[in-house]
Amino acid sequence: MDKGISIKGLVKEYPGHRKGERGHRVLNGLDLSIADNEFVCILGPSGCGKSTLLNTLSGLDNDYSGEVSFGGRPVGRNGKPPVKMGYLFQDPRLLPWLTAERNVDFVLENSDVPKARWAEIKNHYFALTGLEAFRHHYPHELSGGMAQRLSLVRALAIEPDVLFMDEPFSGLDELTARRMRVDLLDIWSRTGKTILFITHNSYEATFLADRVVVLSQGNIREEIRVEVPRPRDYDDPALFDISKQVSANFIAAAEEAERARLEQQAG
Amino acid sequence: MFVKVGSIIAAVLAWLGLSFLFPETILPGPFQTTMVLAENFANGDIFQHLFATLGRVIGGLALAMAIGIPVGVIMGVNRFAEKTLDIWVMVALTVPSLCYAIFAFIWIGLNETAAIVAIGLTSAPSIAINLWEGVKNIDTRLFKMAKVFNASRWVIIRRVLFPQVLPYIMASLRFGLGIVWKITVLVELLGRPDGVGFELFYWYQLANMQQVLAWTLLFTIVMLFIELVILQNMERKLFSWRPKVKI
Repeated sequence: MDKGISIKGLVKEYPGHRKGERGHRVLNGLDLSIADNEFVCILGPSGCGKSTLLNTLSGLDNDYSGEVSFGGRPVGRNGKPPVKMGYLFQDPRLLPWLTAERNVDFVLENSDVPKARWAEIKNHYFALTGLEAFRHHYPHELSGGMAQRLSLVRALAIEPDVLFMDEPFSGLDELTARRMRVDLLDIWSRTGKTILFITHNSYEATFLADRVVVLSQGNIREEIRVEVPRPRDYDDPALFDISKQVSANFIAAAEEAERARLEQQAG
Repeated sequence: MFVKVGSIIAAVLAWLGLSFLFPETILPGPFQTTMVLAENFANGDIFQHLFATLGRVIGGLALAMAIGIPVGVIMGVNRFAEKTLDIWVMVALTVPSLCYAIFAFIWIGLNETAAIVAIGLTSAPSIAINLWEGVKNIDTRLFKMAKVFNASRWVIIRRVLFPQVLPYIMASLRFGLGIVWKITVLVELLGRPDGVGFELFYWYQLANMQQVLAWTLLFTIVMLFIELVILQNMERKLFSWRPKVKI
């Protein structure tokens, strides 16, 4: 099954707070297509529309105009993608009154994964993320890194076709984040998913992605292909070179955003 | 535990000491009071009064929760409801409990229903305020999480909203109980022919301080038992997932 994503002319506008005030356009006719099994990182300054993009794609917000389709099929009337979707938030968002394992069960119960396979799936991902010993722990008993790994288990357990990740490693210490990035690539290479990953970190984007998309003012500023063969070495100098190019674009986008903000303030 | 037992012993000793300073008709000692209580038990009708009061406490609390929880939750969730109702909740909270009791007995009659309505109406506003504050602290980010993982509205209410409201319901149950039983004795004194409040008032009129203290002691022990043994254990079981707070 094709799990690619196609976005055409996506516009999202927030109305002005007061009467007569001009609305704020967060996404400005965005066109982007993501291939089946492609790993795309979206990079951009705050307010460039990154999170809005994920909200519209995931169906959390279906008040937008433009066309979004998954594997050639348009989103349903309720705004939900016609494919299975996993989601990783910036914070773990675990249910604090459920143990690690029950948190995973919670999403399995709302999925179409047959109950007969739950045990096998959970064993697999708990082992893979090193959380085997913490299955019966409550979220408050886990460290930040472990909680985020658990939320990765949760997202993978439903065997999603598409994985949305909203700065999932930004709250972790660098060492943990680095290990999670390597693990994520490993899992992705083995299971095959289309991944849309939002980040503020240009090296993270370069290391992970097939393609880095830099957003500015609600549209694409630059697309950079990362033609480094996989499996990748985290300290590969070729990645550093590409990451510099990504960084330069990111900084330019941030400067554009700042200039636009000042202009708007001036009237 | 050791400290608690120690403080109880200290309190009884203090009571004993004070009782030597006053005549028996003003402050009977712990020994005499316990003796009177034991005699009451032997006479038998103590249970009739105690159960009558407990029934009113439970009925009144149930009514207060049935009104207070929905009002509080709606106020916490909906801004329009909050703006419309907050003044009325404050008004309802300000009206003295004696007024509710008088209204109920005059409008409904000197019966059990009136007693429970009076008790329920008096404590409902406090419970509503408790829930209202609590629901404001609900983590709405968890709703988004449940939504992207395909949970239906009903599943979200039952498995994501309810567990977050439950601690506040339990807190308001304990808090409500504390208010309700104080009102119950007042309502009984005013318009019921039995119950602890009636007994207290009866012995007060006869200026029998031994009986007044005996009934006070009995009622306090029963209520502390409900609070400390039953409700606290229930909470501990329900909220074992919470981080333990070490003091």
